[in-house]
This record gives sequence, structure tokens and C-alpha cells, in this order.
Amino acid sequence: MTRAAPTTLRPASAKEVRDAVLDTPGRLAISGAGTARRWAGRPAEPDATIDLSGLSGVITHNPGDMTVSVHAGTPVRELQEQLAEHGQRLALDAARIDRGATVGGLVATADAGPSALVYGGMRDLVIGTTTVLADGTMVRSGGHVIKNVAGYDMAKLMHGSYGTFGPLVEVVLRLHPAPKATACIAIDGPVDAAAGHVQRLMASPLEPIAAEWVSGDPGTLLVRLEGGVDTLPVRTGRLLELLGDGAREIGPEGWARHAALTGGTPGQPDPAQVTVAAGPAGTSATAVAGAGIADPAGSGAADPAAGAVVRIGCAPARLAPLLAGLPATAVTAGLATGVATVTVPGAAVAEVHEAVAAAGGTSVLRDRPDALDAPAWGPAPSALALLKAVKTQLDPEARFAAGRFDPWM
Amino acid sequence: MDPRIRSEFVTLLGAADVIDDPIRTRTYECDGLTSSRVVPELVLLPRTADDVAGCVRICARHRIPFVARGAGTGLSGGALPVARGVVIGLNRLNRVLEVDPDNRRAVLEPGVTNSEITAAAAPYGLYYAPDPSSQQVCTIGGNVAENSGGAHCLKYGFTTNHVLSIEVVLPDGSQVTLGGDSAEQQGPDLRGVFLGSEGTLGIVTAVTVRLLRTPEVMRTLLADFPSVAAGGQVVSDIVAAGIVPAAVEMMDALAIEAAEGATGAGYSLDTPAALVVELDGTVEECEEQFAQVKEICDRHGCTRLHVAGSPEERANIWRGRKAAFAAVGRISPDYIVQDGVVPRTRLAEVLERIEEMGVAAGLRVANVFHAGDGNLHPLVLFSAAEGQTERAEHLSSQIAELCVEMGGSLSGEHGIGTDKACSMPAMFGEDDLAVMDRVRAGFDPDHICNPGKLLPTPRLCGEKPGRYRPHPLEEAGLIERL
Ligand SMILES: Cc1cc2nc3c(=O)[nH]c(=O)nc-3n(C[C@H](O)[C@H](O)[C@@H](O)COP(=O)(O)OP(=O)(O)OC[C@H]3O[C@@H](n4cnc5c(N)ncnc54)[C@H](O)[C@@H]3O)c2cc1C
Ligand SMILES: Cc1cc2nc3c(=O)[nH]c(=O)nc-3n(C[C@H](O)[C@H](O)[C@H](O)COP(=O)(O)OP(=O)(O)OC[C@H]3O[C@@H](n4cnc5c(N)ncnc54)[C@H](O)[C@@H]3O)c2cc1C
Repeated sequence: MTRAAPTTLRPASAKEVRDAVLDTPGRLAISGAGTARRWAGRPAEPDATIDLSGLSGVITHNPGDMTVSVHAGTPVRELQEQLAEHGQRLALDAARIDRGATVGGLVATADAGPSALVYGGMRDLVIGTTTVLADGTMVRSGGHVIKNVAGYDMAKLMHGSYGTFGPLVEVVLRLHPAPKATACIAIDGPVDAAAGHVQRLMASPLEPIAAEWVSGDPGTLLVRLEGGVDTLPVRTGRLLELLGDGAREIGPEGWARHAALTGGTPGQPDPAQVTVAAGPAGTSATAVAGAGIADPAGSGAADPAAGAVVRIGCAPARLAPLLAGLPATAVTAGLATGVATVTVPGAAVAEVHEAVAAAGGTSVLRDRPDALDAPAWGPAPSALALLKAVKTQLDPEARFAAGRFDPWM
Repeated sequence: MDPRIRSEFVTLLGAADVIDDPIRTRTYECDGLTSSRVVPELVLLPRTADDVAGCVRICARHRIPFVARGAGTGLSGGALPVARGVVIGLNRLNRVLEVDPDNRRAVLEPGVTNSEITAAAAPYGLYYAPDPSSQQVCTIGGNVAENSGGAHCLKYGFTTNHVLSIEVVLPDGSQVTLGGDSAEQQGPDLRGVFLGSEGTLGIVTAVTVRLLRTPEVMRTLLADFPSVAAGGQVVSDIVAAGIVPAAVEMMDALAIEAAEGATGAGYSLDTPAALVVELDGTVEECEEQFAQVKEICDRHGCTRLHVAGSPEERANIWRGRKAAFAAVGRISPDYIVQDGVVPRTRLAEVLERIEEMGVAAGLRVANVFHAGDGNLHPLVLFSAAEGQTERAEHLSSQIAELCVEMGGSLSGEHGIGTDKACSMPAMFGEDDLAVMDRVRAGFDPDHICNPGKLLPTPRLCGEKPGRYRPHPLEEAGLIERL
């Protein structure tokens, strides 16, 4: 059977989103800025796409309460610019995302940056949501107060849903004060040495905002501190002392490379030879850089060696040993959070899922060449039947986001 | 209960752990909301997660409603038994299974008390952040179900921000894990939905929590102000200065009178309002911010500023604050504790409206609350002997709904339970509530898991909110309300 070419609807209000859901029969895809289009399972061909990028802008910002409500299609970057005028921010290091990722998309993909160490991810910053379900029901939960324990926290259900329950149309976020001063401290070394530094750092009272190892030759540990203008230099001094020889303060550009690797442009591994682990025992897992560069536009046939980006999470202390065993060509590793983003040859994705599961962790395929056919998720969670039951309750005809959770459902 | 069903429970748990003696089952007839009581048919006291699953499977097979119970300190009737149902008490699952300092986390059975977590973590310089005032006795299972918070959740967040994973027995008796070893999650955050679900989605049998490093320093001050509004302005200015205190608590004259009378903690009796501000962090940051806070207090006409000079003095300031609830009994024969939230910027306005409403009702209202996150705990004072009960209950509900009208929430930390289910339509539309019910049906299609709680049902809505009666543990001086 041939399908008509999918239509794209671009509603400009919550009501129009609801009309679009009600008036369009069949399977619907939801998109924000499309920056995570290739993440997770491959979406099945929809009958129509609801593009939320027209549903953009701040609805209300209450600076005194440090809350803001926004239309779900609002690019985080634009939101941050507006908040900065009031000395506030959404404490998600999405400032580095220059690709226009939207608030709704970030909630739906359960994303978080390095500062999740202190501020948590989007799940911890969202205090209210409004979502349109498949039957046109508009469901609202939460509100403009950070403390609220009335009813089920529906925002959590949306977090990580990849659009399977329906389009978010409005999101209320809690804000934090923008830091008065920020410092970035770097120290070179392989991941196991970095893990040792992070262990000591976390046992110290220095309160790092982020601690990420970035692969390279031999790799670099980046630590971010935030604080007062007069006091931060003192703390920076204490941190330099704690890390010892080779530690130095660098500019914020240290994070740009980290962001590029996290975003993981598939098929463009780090040009440098990367060494994930070079322990004294010589357990070096040096990968071949440049192997199988794929066409980012994804035209050609799948090159099994082409790079795919996998996001993994496990207990923090297990991360460095886990990474050492992966065929990674580029890595960013939150050694205090246990969350890492790795670029691996496309053919190795299944093996990565297995290794992560064996370490008690979880993994999901992120960016990849279009043609790559690799499993998006690792072993199914024990709560899969429950997840399906909730999905059936909210979207009985499975209209939304078919394919995102393949091979699970 | 059908004796054959009872014997299934006995076969599973042994006769000693299946209670049907009416005198003993009565012990479980209510939680901290002592105005509602229902005697359960049976009380089951499993010792392992598998036993819990076994109990739930028997309930599922016979469609018997069950209610999980931790320490029974809930203040909204969440653990109130249901008629012809069983109570599954979790106090015997009370082992700290693991403290893992390298990964800064602990794995706990649900009956471990909140304070025991910090006690187990302390040798490693770690602690568990959420700190409800009932922490000496309330259980982590109850904390998960209520998404509990405490004075320090302004900076550190609630239970939901500190739980990595939970092992749960679902209402069909199956056992699943929600969440995982890291914050990275797989698919929709079902753990987040479960947190704060008030025992309506299943029973928690193990919890993995994040532990934080004990801060380098803590600085606490007590400041008096010429008006509640001035105190409220100080809170706003502290926040506007980009400072996130560990805690900011406010008390009005009535609350101070009661607390000082009870504890002699050193509060001023002639001040209309007092603030307790606590900062924590590294030495440098704390000192810098502390100086700023003092300056802000001065700017708003602070009449007395007392800085705790020692850990004992700090404990003393908190003792007065934490005793305020129970101490109100000294100045009024009866009172109702309310728990609503308003946007912080509307605090002064709301407090003024509450005062007007009190005057109109001819009743006094004392205020002691978490000012930093707008979580009010107005105490409606009345005398049942003088026939003021109904008026007080009405005023209390009016205050809760006023909070919603101001853009806030019906509950900040005590949950909805049976107590506030009837007020839910004031906060949520019919569609919102219907969708929550659909989510619930996804977990519990047969409606046997703590039925009648959280979401409004016509039966409950015929009942009235209850007035304050001290929890037996409060009377025993073991816990205090905050
Ligand atoms: C190169 C690159 C670098 C990146 N760097 C970072 C980084 O440093 N830090 C960081 O935190 N993130 C980063 N990201 C993450 C990424 O930008 C976001 O996670 C992404 O999801 C943003 O949203 P979007 O609008 O582009 O989503 P889309 O790609 O449009 O959609 C993603 C998923 O969300 C669903 N969805 C989108 N909008 C809605 C909605 N309103 N309601 C319901 N479901 C919806 C879609 O159906 C889809 O399943 C990066 C991504 C890339 C490609
Ligand atoms: C004096 C006093 C002060 C208080 N101060 C605070 C405070 O500062 N902050 C705050 O948030 N709360 C406070 N509370 C309320 C109460 O202590 C908390 O809600 C607490 O988390 C309840 O824990 P519990 O073990 O007593 O649970 P219970 O009262 O036994 O149960 C509460 C709810 O949790 C469910 N439940 C219990 N165990 C489980 C489990 N293992 N699995 C699934 N569901 C379960 C029950 O079914 C019920 O719905 C206070 C109470 C009192 C009496």
C-alpha cells in the first residue's frame, strides 16, 4: 500500500495543536527543532507530523518566584537569553546547544548536561506541563510553585517519553540565579586517572558543578566551579591544589569541545587518536580515529564502521572501567554522575548495549547515520509491561511516535 | 475475611505475622490524621520483599483492597485502612542494605527511618538531604509515597530529586525496578510518577537514594521584623540577590509566643515576625552570602539579629522553630494544621487575606512556615467546647483553596490522601483528574491498591477535613511537626 506523503502541521497555539490531533487521522509524529530526530528508535513513517516550532515564546516569567512558563517549541537558547537579562537561567547546560533544541524536545528526550551533577536534569527543573493526548484531552499538572505534592507528577511521565504520549504544549520551569562567576579547571590524563581525581574531588567540600572527562590524547578532565566574584578565586586555588601537578585554569572554550562530542555528529570522530584507558597494565583501548566516516546527510548504504553515538549511564565508580572496554572513538564522561556519551562504530552498538547492561547500566542510541540499522535500546526494563499498560491507557490506538521504543514496543 | 483467604496469608507469613485480633488491628485504624478511622480486617507484617509480593498476589487473586503502611505519620490519611481490606505494614523490612560511599548512595528497605539513613551515611561524611520533621520515625517508603520534604528542600529538593531507583511490587503482585543506577533513564520516568503517588500505585520494597557530602559549614541567624510583610520582603531580596539559602523559615507573633513559651529558645516575644535563615556550603561562599543576608535584613528594619555562635545555639534556634506546631496547643485548646503553597512573591498578600478571613470568622490563625518556597502551614485556632469546630474547618478549607486561587498548590508536603481529595477539583480540571485516573488504571486496573485516596470520590467528599489532634508520637515527645 502506498501512503500519501506525510503532511506537516505547524500549529501556533495549544488549541491548534489539539485541533491538529483531533482532525488528523492516523499516526502522528511530533517534532521540535528536529535536533534529536535520529535519536532512540527509528520512527515509523507517520501520516502527519506536528511541528511545534511555531509554538514558541515565554508565556509568563515570574522573576521573583524564579519560575517561567513557555510554549513547548521555545528554543532553550532563546529562553536563556531572556532569562539572563534578569540574572537568571534554566540550570541546564543547554546554553551550548547552538542548534535550537526546544524545551519540549529536551523534556521528551530526558536530556541533561554536565551540571546535572548539582541541578539534576530536565526532570528536576520542570514543575508543570500541559500535554495534548490522542483523544484531544488537554492534561495539565503542576504549576508555578516548586513545592507541590498534589496529584501524580505528570511531567515525569512526559520526561523521556520521546513524544509517545502526545505533544507537550506548555512547560513550566523552575529557574536558578545565574552564577556571578564561573571557573573551568582542566587537568590532562587518561580516564582512570581522571576517575581518581573525581573521587577525591567529591570527597572534598569544594562543590563542583560539573566534572567531565573528554577523550583525546591522553584526554582531559574538566571541572566547573561557580560562586561569588571575590570568593571563587579562593576556591579555584583550593581545587588546583587538590588536583595537583598539571591542573590549570582555562577559559570556557574547554566546554565547547565537550559539547561537540556530546552532541556527537555521527561519522565525524575526533581527529585525534583517542585513548580511553592507558593504565599501567597497558589496557589501552586506542581506537582508530577516522574509521568509516559516514555521510552526515546519510545518503549512501550503511557503513557498519560508521560512527554512532550512544548515551550510557551506570554507577559512577563503574564508569571508567566500563569505558575502557568499549571500542569508543570519542567520549565525554561525567565521572561523578555516571553518565557518558560515546561515539562507537555503528557495527558495535549492540555490543555496547550488552557491555553496559552487564555493568548494571542503561544505554540508548543517539545520533547515527541515517542508514545505520542498529538496536536503539539495550535489554528491556523489568517495568516494560507497566510502560505498555500506561501507554495503552493514554494512547490506546498507538497514534504517537510509533517506533521510538523499538525493539521494546 | 473468608477464613480460606486468611489461611493463605498464614501459610505465606506464619500465624504470628497475620493480625486479626480486633484489639491489635485497632492500632492501625488511622495515621497522623487521627480524625478519620477505619479498622482493617487484617494486618499483614511481611519480612521480605518476596513476602510483600506474595501478600499482594493473594490480594490480587481475591480482589482484596490493600493499604501499605510505613510509620503511620502521614497527615492526610494516606495510610487510612479501607473497609474490608488489609493493611500491609512494612516496619519489618527495616535493614540498611548497603552504603556505597564511592558512588555516594545507599540501598534501603522501605521501613528504614529517614534519620537512620543519615546515621548510616555519617561515618563517610555523607548525609541524606530530605528532612521531614517527622524524620526520627517516618520511613523511606512513606517518604517515597509522599514525596516528602523538609526545611532544607528549598535548596536541596524533595525525595523525588534524591531517589535513583525503587523496587516495587505492582498491584498484580509482579516485582519491577523503576529508575536505575544513574540519573540517565530509559523511556518515560515511571519512578518519578510513582514518587508522591501516596501508596496508590504499588508497594515499595527497596529504595536506592543519593547521598550528599556534608557541607563544610552551616550558618544560621534569627532576625526580628516589624511586620510579616517586611520579613517577606527580606526573603524576596535574598532570592533576588542570587542567594539560595539552605532554609528560610518564618514565624508570626502567635507562633513565636507559643514556641517561646514551650522551649525558651530565645525568640523575642514582642516582635510581629521572625525569620530563621540558614546558609551552607564552603567557608568562603557562606561568609560572603551571610554578610549580604545581614545587610538585607538591616535594610528592611530588622529590630534584632541573632547569629548562632555555636552548634548548640543553632540547634536551639531550630528547636524553637520545630516545636512551634505542638506548642500552639498552649495558646489554643484545638487547632487545624493546613499545608498550602503560594508563589513566594504573593506571601505578604496571602497572609493579609488569611488574617482578614480569620477576623471575619472570629478565629485566630497562627503562621509558621517554609517562607523560601512559599509553603504555608496556617494553624487555625479554635475551641471545640465553644462550638467553633465547623467554622474552623470551613476557614481551613477556605485557606487551602485561597492558595490555589493565588496560583499555588493544595499541598506542599503532606499530600492529598483522604483529607484533601475533595479539594482536588479546586486545583485540577475534570480532564486532568480523569487522566490521572487513567495513569492509575495502568498500574492498578482492578483498583485494589489504596483505593479512595488522592483522587476525589463522592463518598470522601461528604466528609470534612479533620482538626488537629496530636499524633501519639508527638504526645510522647518523639517527633514534632514543622
Ligand atoms: C549536535 C548536538 C549537540 C547537542 N548538545 C547538547 C548539549 O550539550 N546538552 C544538552 O542538554 N543537549 C544537547 N543536545 C540534545 C538535543 O539538542 C536535545 O535533546 C533535543 O531533544 C532538543 O529538542 P528538539 O526540539 O530538537 O527535539 P526533536 O528532535 O524535534 O524531538 C526529539 C524527540 O522529542 C519529541 N518531542 C519534541 N518536541 C516535543 C513536544 N513538544 N512534546 C512531546 N514530544 C516532543 C519528538 O517526538 C522526538 O521523539 C544536542 C543535540 C545535538 C544533535
Ligand atoms: C509531627 C509530624 C511532622 C511531619 N513533618 C513533615 C514534614 O516536615 N515534611 C513532610 O513532607 N511530611 C511531614 N509529615 C508527614 C509524614 O511524616 C510524611 O508524609 C512521611 O513521609 C510519612 O511516612 P510514614 O512512614 O509515616 O508513612 P505512612 O503514614 O505510614 O504512609 C504514608 C503514605 O505512604 C504510603 N506508604 C507507606 N509506605 C509505603 C511503601 N513502602 N510503599 C508504598 N506506599 C507506602 C501509605 O500507603 C500512605 O499513603 C509530618 C508528620 C508528623 C506526624
